[in-house]
Amino acid sequence: MEEYNSGEEILFNSDEATAPIKECIEGVIGGTDYNQNKINQWTASIVERCLNHFVKQGRAFKYIVNCTIMQKSSAGLHTANSCYWDTATDGSCTVRWENRTMYCVVSVFAVAVA
Amino acid sequence: MSDLLKDRALKKEKKMGKDGRPKDSISTVSNVEDPLHHDDTRLPTENTYQLGPYKRHSVPVITEILKDVLTCYLQHETYEAEWSRQMTKTLCDVIRARVKELMIPRYKTVVIVNIGQLSGQGMQISSRCLWDATNDTFATYSFKNSSLFGLAIVYVVYFE
Repeated sequence: MEEYNSGEEILFNSDEATAPIKECIEGVIGGTDYNQNKINQWTASIVERCLNHFVKQGRAFKYIVNCTIMQKSSAGLHTANSCYWDTATDGSCTVRWENRTMYCVVSVFAVAVA
Repeated sequence: MSDLLKDRALKKEKKMGKDGRPKDSISTVSNVEDPLHHDDTRLPTENTYQLGPYKRHSVPVITEILKDVLTCYLQHETYEAEWSRQMTKTLCDVIRARVKELMIPRYKTVVIVNIGQLSGQGMQISSRCLWDATNDTFATYSFKNSSLFGLAIVYVVYFE
């Protein structure tokens, strides 16, 4: 029985993923204030940029990118996630970012294909 | 052990940027709660020659599960910080268990739950996925009462 091994490590590294996600966020909303009219395109750009970055790595993963932007007020927000997957190969990375007027939370989940 | 140290190191946030000027934005990273021992030896498995899933997830069924769970747990509650923190985790686990009960093989599940306070603030949540659209899908449900809102998202991903 032949074994097809591409030689690449199939393991999602969540530590390495935080820096590029932060850069994606800063690139889109760094230095801006909360704007109801633009928030739709902001979330779309952040999500697309993050996804493109991970896709360019060319690894055998399916990706789910989730972005939440909330205006700063006295309100509280809680987010949790629970995943049923193979912990040896799959992983997730969540980055929380804030500035003067808003919070941004981006989660990336990477699920190995085979 | 080293994973816990790494967690703590990542959670310490430097307020000053690299060039010494104070940053006006702060970012923090959170990691998984239990660093599990990874098994490095993967047993070779025999070929099954199966090209796709025999049974797929039904989106209305999952939506019904989400509606049931969120309404049942959140209907008569008011927002409190500590309670919400526990409730999001509880809801995640409950929803994951219910989706597992559907017993659809070869599918991985990701569940996300958001609970927030209603105080007239603006908010936008969006997501995008790179996957195989013929086999993978998602379901969402949002619930609102007078003091809080709850949002649940489930992604199901096929795995060979």
